[in-house]
This record gives sequence, C-alpha cells and structure tokens, in this order.
Amino acid sequence: MTSSNRFANRLLVFVCGLVLLVVGGAAAAAVLVPGIRDGWKDAGTQVTDQVDSALEQTRLVGLEVSWILIAVVALLVIAIVILIVFIARHGHGHTSRAVTDSSGEHGTTVVESSVAEQALQDALDDHSEFVASHVSTYAVRRTPVLKVSVTCRRGVSPKDAAAIVESKLLALDGLLGRELPALIQVSGGFRARVGKTTRLQ
Amino acid sequence: MSSSTKALYARIGRRETHSSRSMLAIVLAIILIVVFAWVGTEVVIALLGLPALLVAPSDMFASAVGLAEQPAALVAIAGIVTAVIGLVLIVLSLSPGRRARHLIDTERAVTVVDNEVIASALARHASYAGNVDPDNATVSVSHRLGVVDLTPTSGIPADRDAVTRAVSDQLDSYGLRPTVRARVRIAEKGKVGA
Repeated sequence: MTSSNRFANRLLVFVCGLVLLVVGGAAAAAVLVPGIRDGWKDAGTQVTDQVDSALEQTRLVGLEVSWILIAVVALLVIAIVILIVFIARHGHGHTSRAVTDSSGEHGTTVVESSVAEQALQDALDDHSEFVASHVSTYAVRRTPVLKVSVTCRRGVSPKDAAAIVESKLLALDGLLGRELPALIQVSGGFRARVGKTTRLQ
Repeated sequence: MSSSTKALYARIGRRETHSSRSMLAIVLAIILIVVFAWVGTEVVIALLGLPALLVAPSDMFASAVGLAEQPAALVAIAGIVTAVIGLVLIVLSLSPGRRARHLIDTERAVTVVDNEVIASALARHASYAGNVDPDNATVSVSHRLGVVDLTPTSGIPADRDAVTRAVSDQLDSYGLRPTVRARVRIAEKGKVGA
C-alpha cells in the first residue's frame, strides 16, 4: 500500500547484481583462462600509463592535484545523496484525508481519515473472531484507500473474516454517503498462534 | 464498481501479494553508501597527502590492474563467489517474489489472506471431518496446493474421502485466487490417546 517505487528497488538490485557478476567473472577469468590472463597483463600496463598521463595532464594550476580525482569525489558524494533519498522515499503513502468534496457552491467538505478509521476500529473491536485489528488510510494513485488489517484467531474461516469486515465497510459507506476503496488484510502471526482457538460456529 | 476502482483494486492486489524487494534494496543501498563514503574519504585523504585509512587509491588501482599476478586460487575463488552473489541478486530482481498470500473474491474490497490463516481454517475443518484431535491435523498451504496431514487416533479410522470433501468444500467456498487444490494424507500409524 505504500508508495515505494518497486521498479527502482528491482533496478538497484539488478544493477548491483550485474556489476558483481561482471567484476567477479572478469576477475576469475583473468587468472583462470591463459589467453585472458596475458591480455589482462598487456592491457594493465597500457591502462596504467594512460591513467598516469591523464592525471598528469589534468593537473590544476597551483593545487598540484588532478581535477579528475576531485570530479570522482564529487560523483561519489552525488551518488551517496541519491542513495539516501532513495532509502528515505520508502514506506510513505499515508494520508489524513478520507474524503475531499468540493462539489458544493459554498466551499469544500473534508472528512479526516481518522473518522473512518475509528468507526471501523470500534466496530471490529467487539468481534471475538479477531485478536487484533488495525485501520489505516493510504493514498494510492491519489485516491484514499482504507486498509483494514485483522489478525484472526486460529481456525477462523478467512471468508467469514472478510465478510465481517465487509459488513462494517458497507455500514461505513452508509455513514459517509460514498464508497471508499478498501483493502482487507487477513493475517495470522504470533498473536494468532498463542491465542485461543475459535469455537465452532 | 467503476473501471477506475477496478484498476486500483488490481494494482493493490498485485502489490499486496508480491514482495516489494524494499528490504534487499535498502540493505544494498546502505552497503553502497558505506563503500562510496570510504572510497571518497580515501581519495580526499590521498589528495591532502595524508596516510591512507586502509588502502590508498593508487594501491587500489594498482592491485586491480595487476590482478593477474596475484595468487590465482585466491582471486579465482573470490571472483567466483562475487559472481554467484551477483547472479543471485539478478535472479531476485527479476523473479516475481510472491508472498505467502492469496486473494479472495469479495464484492466491496480487495481481500488478501495469509496462507497461514487458510491453513488453520482448513485444519479445523479437516480435524472435525476426520474425527481427530485438532492438534493432530497439520496443514500447509502453498501457492496452488494445500496439504492436509492427519494422524488418526488409534482404533478410530479417519475417513479420507470425508476429509477430502470437507477440505475441498471449504477451499471452494473461499474463492481463492489462484485456486488451491487439496491433498489429504492420513498417517498409517495412529496415536494412542490423541
């Protein structure tokens, strides 16, 4: 439900994997395959000469250091900033507005998402089928979506659990006068495992 | 349901049943940050003419270029291990990363259910139909298959067909996507006093 960019996640994993595969493969090939080994040695001396002359030619006047090295440091800093932004962008997507209605002539009606959350939470707390329940609101593609997660007691039929939550959602629809899109998450977990088994209904 | 809500529900359903690979991406990003920060610090220290923290940039470059002269066995093992890690990451980045969850057909909302919940509901019905103690029914639910293992009480045979029917009826009534098939196995040896 969060707005985490999944494509970016996979792209980063893929690029890291590709780099490791190529570097590791090249290193192994450089010592194991005789042809590549000789080629690597020949290329090595050339590369060293070229890099040395490049660093020599790009020396900054007065500083006695090459600007290439300074550029490398700058690139590393930029890469670090991008990675920090990448990490910080995970897990967002909560919203505090459930309904924003500006159809009237005299202004806008705003319903905070806590109204819907508390109404649902209250209704679900009475049910013995659930050991825990939690309601939150996310903006998915700019549409507020309710997320109702319930932890079932052992043995509760998932269909029954979903039906209970759906009936509460329909009641909320009546209260708000409109349908909010919703996700119902039925889960087990530790509290379900140590809790009491449900009775046969 | 409008088409926009349908598209929204399809998106949510897909995202809830597949891993976001966030954990892995964040760990890799942190490792990259540490490595980049270290290399950057070494370069700056070298530019200032101070002794290196761990390895001077010129030594890093020289050892990378002179890789072929290093002990072959060591380099080969390190290279192969690196390549295998890289391959695993590529596979992880391209594989769907399904989570242990199923979608349930519901009218009003998208519903995702942990396989664990489906299994515990099936276990309850299987033990009732097979006339065994709930503790002697083990169910594991995977993407397309639910395996029910029953250990009957000694002297009281468990009716395999009845259990299969009860479990299949339950699975049909849930309306899982993708559908789950049931397989019932009844242990040949019973348990005394269970």
